Amino acid sequence: MTTMSYRDAMGKALEDSMREEPRLIVIGQNIAGHALRQLAETYGVERVRDTSISESAMVGMAVGAAMKGLKVVVMIAYADIASVCHMAIVQSAAKLHYLSNGRLNCTVIIRLPIARFRGHGPEGNEVGVSWFYNVPDLNIAMPASPNEVYWNFREALQRRTPTLFFEDRSIHARTGEVAAYNPGGYAQMTRSGDRLTIIGAGRAAALAEDAADQLAEQGYSSAVEVVSLGFVKPLDKNTVLRSTSKTGRALIVQDEPVWSGYAPFVRCLLDELPAAKLCCAPCILAGADRFLPFWDERPFLPSTESVVAAARECLK
Amino acid sequence: MSIPEASNQHVGIEWQLYRNMLVTRLLEEALVRWEEEGKISAQTFPSKGQEAIAIGCCAALENGDTVIPSFRTRGSMIGMGVSIAEQLREFIHSPLAAGDSRDAPHHSSWPDRGVMPGSTMIGGHLAMAAGLALAMQIEKQDTVSLVFFGDGTLGSGDLYETMHIAGMWRLPLILVCENNGWEMATPFSQVRRTRALTPYAEPFGFVTRSIDGNDALDVYHSTRWACATAREGQPVFLDCMTFRLGLYSSHFGEVRSNIETDLAEWEKRDPLKRMADWLIGREMTTRDELASLKRDEEQKIEDAFNDVRGER
Repeated sequence: MTTMSYRDAMGKALEDSMREEPRLIVIGQNIAGHALRQLAETYGVERVRDTSISESAMVGMAVGAAMKGLKVVVMIAYADIASVCHMAIVQSAAKLHYLSNGRLNCTVIIRLPIARFRGHGPEGNEVGVSWFYNVPDLNIAMPASPNEVYWNFREALQRRTPTLFFEDRSIHARTGEVAAYNPGGYAQMTRSGDRLTIIGAGRAAALAEDAADQLAEQGYSSAVEVVSLGFVKPLDKNTVLRSTSKTGRALIVQDEPVWSGYAPFVRCLLDELPAAKLCCAPCILAGADRFLPFWDERPFLPSTESVVAAARECLK
Repeated sequence: MSIPEASNQHVGIEWQLYRNMLVTRLLEEALVRWEEEGKISAQTFPSKGQEAIAIGCCAALENGDTVIPSFRTRGSMIGMGVSIAEQLREFIHSPLAAGDSRDAPHHSSWPDRGVMPGSTMIGGHLAMAAGLALAMQIEKQDTVSLVFFGDGTLGSGDLYETMHIAGMWRLPLILVCENNGWEMATPFSQVRRTRALTPYAEPFGFVTRSIDGNDALDVYHSTRWACATAREGQPVFLDCMTFRLGLYSSHFGEVRSNIETDLAEWEKRDPLKRMADWLIGREMTTRDELASLKRDEEQKIEDAFNDVRGER
């Protein structure tokens, strides 16, 4: 086990993958000379390629290169820009494996950093996971910790279908241990308790962990379990159901509004449990159904405080 | 005089071009007929009058090269050596259909033969073709990626993004436009300034050639040149001037207005008829022999359909 930051784990995942996978390339804007300069110096500008601002073609080209057996990481500057290349993601990348009847693989990672709390404004502070949630064959990763960011990335490079990789810049500084083995895309139980399961992914899972720690200090010692999903699609249903069966209560935290995304999905999933397994109806704490202003997104999003408050309600 | 079998070698190329264009036309006519008879359900976008483009291009390709079809280039499958039976299996969901009849039949793929999946998103497949070319360049495969599209694709942003990157990166990419002057029911003059497309591609770093898309030999030789050029790291844009002699599709029928004069003019330049005249003019065949060839190929197509239907 090694302790490192979320940001460093992301870098290490890319570095280790480039070293171990000679047919892996990275394309993006301002990477060879800026964001991934070290990687470009080590592996050359043939494998770490600067592109023009052409996100649709970047994703389409990644799919074409994947047809030839290459693996490709596409660096999109931030998550909102997924809307620019929506066609290429849904029509070209996600459908390739299906429409070729499995004869062609599409091992492509599209990195979509969530850029909230950096003053980018309403066109730069979206998450966008839910825009893609109903697309079959599209893996969606929302890592919450250094371990998840490292292993979700390595796992995605082993899949035959593409992955949207929503790393969250607001938790770049979080530190933690990176395990020595690949958990294989399963959800992780990051806090253990017996009275409430808080389920989330990405920043929301990080908030849940902080909330669980605060609740432990407030007299709810060993009460709160946290399930960090990692991959929100496909989603590790068993871990969610097992934990919730044990605790009998569920709080689902999601940064995006509640209309879509993993929160309403998990809530539906919990309907599969026998009624007697739950003490109360599962709760959702989600972002407000509105766009977010540049001056401060926080009032409209879940926070550690609001997760603590919601958890206390559930525990009453 | 015996007719040599078609082959992928560059010998007897005139015969290969004629035979493959003939098979393309007969197969598409049969597909439209079978659909009318309720035997298949997929619509056909006949390439009648444009067959020389796909057939001429594919005849110039080598092992390892790839092609992405447009929706009007069934000839690219025939030209890359995919048998009639293999194609028909996709139409009727035969248990032996390699693609399990998942993709629309005009986009069926045979990756092992170099036929990659097309896309219904006009222009989206151009970026994928550039990606194939990128992989070839990185892995020094000395091959080319060729992609077909109609001139309606000139309105798609993906064309320009693709040319922007491919020109700069000097990818072994060949863009082949089937420039038939119509965007379904809309003449080109209502949607762009010029019929010729070469001025669109040159600023992006493509070398361009305007060719007679109804002359299979011109298409073939131009593509040979394009392949040699692209392998040297110079992407190519081939602007193939042509005219659609058939339906827009079996579902939509003929959607153009006031085309009688154009039709009469372009029928004189029918690529199949021209190739036949070329062969007969050089005493390489006779009208009777070509009529016999046509009957044979028609029968082979019927037989293949019956065989494939028997697989279900």
